[in-house]
Amino acid sequence: MNNVDILMGANLSKKYGSLEVVKDVSLSVKEGEFVSLVGKSGCGKTTLLSLLSGLEKPTKGQVTLNGKEIIGASEEELALFRRTHVGFIFQSFNLIPTLSAWENVALPLFPIKMASDQRHKRAIELLEQMEMGHRIEHLPAALSGGEKQRVAIARALANHPKIVFADEPTGNLDSATGDAIMVILSELHRKQGMTMLMVTHEPELAKTADRVIRMQDGEVLA
Amino acid sequence: MNLHYVVKELYYQRRRTIISVVGLSIGIALFLILNALSLAYREAARAPLKEIGADITVQRPGNVPQELTGAVFPCSAVTIRQEEITKIEKIPGIVGIGKAVLVWVFDPHRAWIVLGIERENPIGPAILRAFVTEGRFLEDGKSEALIEAGYAQQFGIKVGSNISVAGRSFPVVGLVDASRAPKIAVANLYLPLKDAQIIAISSKPLQSVSPFAPGDVNLLFIKADQQQITAAAAAMKSILGEKVAIATPESFLKLLGSLFALSDKFTLAASLIAMLIAILIAFKTMAGNISERAREIGVMKAVGWTQHNVTMQLLTESVIQCFAAGILGILIAVIVAFGLSFMTVNIPIPWEMSPNPHFLPGGGEQLYKTLQLPVHIPVTLAAFSLLLSVLIGGLTGALLGRHISKIKPSEVLRHE
Repeated sequence: MNNVDILMGANLSKKYGSLEVVKDVSLSVKEGEFVSLVGKSGCGKTTLLSLLSGLEKPTKGQVTLNGKEIIGASEEELALFRRTHVGFIFQSFNLIPTLSAWENVALPLFPIKMASDQRHKRAIELLEQMEMGHRIEHLPAALSGGEKQRVAIARALANHPKIVFADEPTGNLDSATGDAIMVILSELHRKQGMTMLMVTHEPELAKTADRVIRMQDGEVLA
Repeated sequence: MNLHYVVKELYYQRRRTIISVVGLSIGIALFLILNALSLAYREAARAPLKEIGADITVQRPGNVPQELTGAVFPCSAVTIRQEEITKIEKIPGIVGIGKAVLVWVFDPHRAWIVLGIERENPIGPAILRAFVTEGRFLEDGKSEALIEAGYAQQFGIKVGSNISVAGRSFPVVGLVDASRAPKIAVANLYLPLKDAQIIAISSKPLQSVSPFAPGDVNLLFIKADQQQITAAAAAMKSILGEKVAIATPESFLKLLGSLFALSDKFTLAASLIAMLIAILIAFKTMAGNISERAREIGVMKAVGWTQHNVTMQLLTESVIQCFAAGILGILIAVIVAFGLSFMTVNIPIPWEMSPNPHFLPGGGEQLYKTLQLPVHIPVTLAAFSLLLSVLIGGLTGALLGRHISKIKPSEVLRHE
């Protein structure tokens, strides 16, 4: 971890109608840091993650990701920015049911001009790293929950992201499988220096991170 | 756009793919078949004239002969004067003219239907050359006769014998099988045009009803530019009078009476309706498929697919489906057209185009030209329908793709 802020959110607010889900939140994440955002369900942590990752625009506030102010960017610019800088891991994996494991991993690479064998090679490499080398041709329906999440983690890494956003990565898994996934995420951070911002409602899992940010009713607690 | 992903998606969603491909292909096939049937009826309607080498026949109706003795004109075909023919030759779109004289000759012991023909003119009855079953065809400059084979058999006339018609004698040089010959301008005695004109000129009963001079005729067979047939027919009416009987492929089409034959508008409307229904089926199936994939599209956008990338992906899926539907539609249409080509069609020949005296055996019978309906799918029509299906695919994919690709990933991924 170094001292450079790779992600900064300043005075972020998000309103849906009259309901303010995120209230004047400011936070930063340093390059190579593993930060967990913890709080009860409905406290606004997933919305905050969406704001910080450029999936959603705040009602108020600024977000700087890898030195780029992303709030004023168009949808197309944001998509291109996510393609090159950001990886996502979702609670319910969100794998494409029609694509095999390796094709799901290669999904972020499909719009990029590159040789198909290079794309295939990168996907296989990542799946092997996730100990999924024996399941590369399987469709998601033929994979267990833990295997699906491993594929999803591999997909998040496909484009060499600067930061990975993980939204309740163990939320749909039993505790043993969840622990195994947490080990993978920790190792990614520890061995590869991957910057990670993880949302969880489980305080025990949050402790795996370098730093824990607590949220309650849309606000970050001191 | 990733073709590999497109193919996998279409294969995985094969039930939907099959429904939209089959739905659209049926529409394409109906579009092709309806148009092919319409073209086939048009082609069939051209057959009676085509087989006599013409596109138009012209006759002028006149008065009924006062008495049936000697040579007379049927009331359906009286004199067309030489100067009128000269004017017709100058009408734009007229390629060539064949002339003939049709005369009924009532001799004391026999009635003849005599057709005087131009021996060398490919437009008109000289086409009978191909139907000589015995003897030979007429030779240049000789006053000789051909007899219809059935008539010759009925009256024991043989090749080499002489016949007497309207006081003139002709050697019989050949027999013609009229059952295989064109149905228009059928006669039982064929003479050189000049001899038939002499018979007409020297007949007092004929002259009293319809004055006839050297060079005049009473039947015209006209070859015309296909695009100018209607205009040429109208111009002829202005020369020969409104009562003139002009037969064109269009008039035979009306005699056929089929819906396909009667109206281009019907064919166009029916094929457009078929196509529209097919497009709606395909559109609804594709729209259902795409709306079910909102979450998938949200994921694609979250991992960096732009709106353009998503639209192109969905557009390619749609174009491939519609292209496959186009190919399948053409195949179905070709198979159905093959089946329909065994269907026969009877084209009624109006009595006045082949007039036999009613009191002779078979004189009042309706003549038909029977042929197999020439149904086939023209290559240009098939290519057009394939292009149309690709366009439908492009349009459907672009519309649906543009709509769904505007989805914000956070909207579909928020509710986990």
